[in-house]
Amino acid sequence: MNRRRFLSRTGAGGIALGGAAAAQQPAPASAQRSNLPPGVTPTAYALPKSEYRASLNPDYLTYASDLVIERNRPGKPHKGKVLAAIQPHSDDITLFCAGTVAKLIDEGYTGYLIRVSNDEKAGKTVGHGVVQNETDNLEAAKALGCKAFSFYYRNHRMDDCAIIEIRQRLIFLFRLLQVNTVFVMDPYDHYDENPDHFVVGRAVETACWMAGTGGGREYPEQLKAGLKPASIREKYYHCRAPQGHNLVNRVVDISSYIDQKVRANVANKGKGPAGDNGARLRQELARQGRKLPLLGNDDDTANFQYTKHFLMEDFRTLGKLFGVEYAETFRYIGPESDERRTVRKYVDEHSVRL
Amino acid sequence: MSRGSVSRKSAPGVTGFGMLSSAAMPAAPPQSGEVVVVKDEPGQPHRGKVFAAIHAHLDDVPYYASGLCAKLMREGYTGYLVRTSNDERSGGQSTAQNILRNEEDHFRMSAALGFKDVIDFYYQNHDMDGISYIDLRGRLILIFRMLKVNTVISFNPWGSWEEDPDHWVTGRAVEEASWMAAGPNDFHEHLLAGFQPQKVTERYYFHARPGQPFNRVVDISSHIEKKIDAIVECKTQGDGNRGSLVRAQLARQGKRLPLLGNDDRTADRAYVRQFLLDNEQEYGKQHQLQYAERFYYIDQRLPSRSKAEEFIEKNAVQL
Repeated sequence: MNRRRFLSRTGAGGIALGGAAAAQQPAPASAQRSNLPPGVTPTAYALPKSEYRASLNPDYLTYASDLVIERNRPGKPHKGKVLAAIQPHSDDITLFCAGTVAKLIDEGYTGYLIRVSNDEKAGKTVGHGVVQNETDNLEAAKALGCKAFSFYYRNHRMDDCAIIEIRQRLIFLFRLLQVNTVFVMDPYDHYDENPDHFVVGRAVETACWMAGTGGGREYPEQLKAGLKPASIREKYYHCRAPQGHNLVNRVVDISSYIDQKVRANVANKGKGPAGDNGARLRQELARQGRKLPLLGNDDDTANFQYTKHFLMEDFRTLGKLFGVEYAETFRYIGPESDERRTVRKYVDEHSVRL
Repeated sequence: MSRGSVSRKSAPGVTGFGMLSSAAMPAAPPQSGEVVVVKDEPGQPHRGKVFAAIHAHLDDVPYYASGLCAKLMREGYTGYLVRTSNDERSGGQSTAQNILRNEEDHFRMSAALGFKDVIDFYYQNHDMDGISYIDLRGRLILIFRMLKVNTVISFNPWGSWEEDPDHWVTGRAVEEASWMAAGPNDFHEHLLAGFQPQKVTERYYFHARPGQPFNRVVDISSHIEKKIDAIVECKTQGDGNRGSLVRAQLARQGKRLPLLGNDDRTADRAYVRQFLLDNEQEYGKQHQLQYAERFYYIDQRLPSRSKAEEFIEKNAVQL
C-alpha cells in the first residue's frame, strides 16, 4: 500500500502520535460540517477517521441497496474450496482484509497469499527491503494459515509491466491451484495513487474469467500441461485507504478473527504501520523512564497491543456502524446464475408429451 | 510468412556463409568457422530427445526446415510444432476465413510431417512487434519445460534483412526462452506445478533470407518427399495447391500439362517438386547433395565433466 502518511506518523516509533506534528494535520473529514443543501441526498458517505491518524478506511463509501453482513458460519462449509488473496505489497491483504481471509480459511477454505511486487521500496536498501518483505509475506501467510507465493515485479513500477504477462501467470496459478475465490484490491477504487494497486486489480479481474473459459482457447498450452480451467465464482474486492471511494455491498463481521488479523500485521516488519512499532514505542518510553501499561512487559505483547489498539480502530469504527465489534468492507461479486440449469429447470417443469 | 521475392528466388548468387555475391544486396557481416554438412545418421541416435519447431506462419517450417524436422524425427527425436501468429493476413479471403483456413492447414501440415503435437498461439499476424513480448516468452518457457525440449528450430533473431516483424519477434522470444527456461527463478510458478527448469542446448536457426548466416548444411535428400508432403498442405498460403490450381486453369482453357498428372494431389506435389525447391537444390549442389537446407546451428551441450571438475579431480590431495 501507499504508506506515506503512515510513515510520517509513525517514523519515531509511534512516539509522535498525537504530538505537535499531528496537531498541524488538517481536520478529519468527519469533523467537518457538511454544506450539502437540504433535500439533497448524499451518494457517498465519508467515514469517520481514526483519532490515531493511521486511517485504514477509504475517504468515502457508497453502499449498495442489497448490502449483506456476512457473519461466522458454523462448521466447515467451504471445505474443498480454494481462495487466493492477491496483493501487490506485503501489507495490503493483511491491513484491509486479513480478518475475512482468516474467517474463510477457518470455515474450510485452503488459502494462498500471492504477492505481486518485490516491495523493493521499503527497506534501508533495496536489497534489505526485498529480503525483509519476502520474509514478511511468508510470515503473514503463516499467521493467516495460508501458503505464500511471490512474483517479485518491481515495486511502484508495475504500470511499466506487461499486464498481459501478469495475467498469464495468474491464470496459470489459478488453474494450478484450482482457485474458486479471490481477494484483491478493488480495481475500481477511485483516486488510488499507487500504480501497483490498479495494475494488480485489473490483472486479477481479467485473469479470473479467462482462467475458466472453456474450450481451452486461453493459453491452451497450460491445459496441455495438465492444468484444468479454474472456476472462480466469488470475488471479494477490498477497499484501500487513505485515498478511495468504493462501492460496498458486503460487510464481514471479523470480530472472531481480529487477533489473527493483528498477528498477520505484526508479521509485516518491513513495511506497514504495525510490525515492531509497539516494541519500539515501549523501548522509547523506557528510555524516558516511562511505560504504557497497554503495551505489556515484552516486545511481542507490545507489538500485538499496539497494532490492535491503534491500528484496528478503523475496523472497530466500521464494525460499530454495522452493529458488530470489528468489520471489513467489500465489493463482493458472487456466482452468476447458471443459465443452463435455469433453462433445464424450466424445461423439466413445462415440457409436455408429444 | 512473408515470402515476398527474395526468399524463394535467390539461390543464384548465394555463396558460403550466406554471403551474397549480388552487388544489389548489402554485405552480411563476416562469419567465421566451417560449414558443416550433416547427413543422415543410422538408427535412432536421438531417441529420447525432444525438439520444438517454432514458426510464425503456416509455411515457415515447411519451406525452411521441414527436411531437418523429418530427419530428426526419423533419427529418434520427438517433434512438436508451435505457430505463433494467427495468419490472418494471408489467404486472400476474409480475415476470419484466413484464420480458419490457415489453422486447418496447420494441423494437416503438422500431421504430414509427423509432429507429436501442435500448439497455436494466434498472435495477430504482422503485428507481433506490438504484442507483449514477455507474454510470448513466458508461454514458450512453459512449453520448453513441459515438453522437456532439448533442441529448438526457429528464426534467427539476429538474421539481417528480415522484413517480417513476426519472424524476428518469434526468433528473439525463442532464443531468450531457450536460455531462461533453465533458470529456476524465471516463472517460478512452473516449478510449483512440477515443471522443472529445462536447458535447451541446441538451436537451429533458419536461413530465411539471402545473406543470413549459416554454418550447417543438412542433407535432406532422403526426406524430400516429406518436405513436399508438408508444403502441399500449405494451401491457404505457401502455394501448396498451386499445381491443382494451374491444372484447373489449363483445363478451363482446354489444355493440360502432363507434368501435373491426372489428379489434384499429383498436380500439387509435382508443382512443388518442379518449381518450389530451387533453393534446396542449389544449397545441395554446392555440397554434391541432391537437396539441402541451411541453418545457423548453436550447440550449447556441455561435456559431462567441466574442465574445472577434471582439474579438481586430478589435483586434489588428501588433507
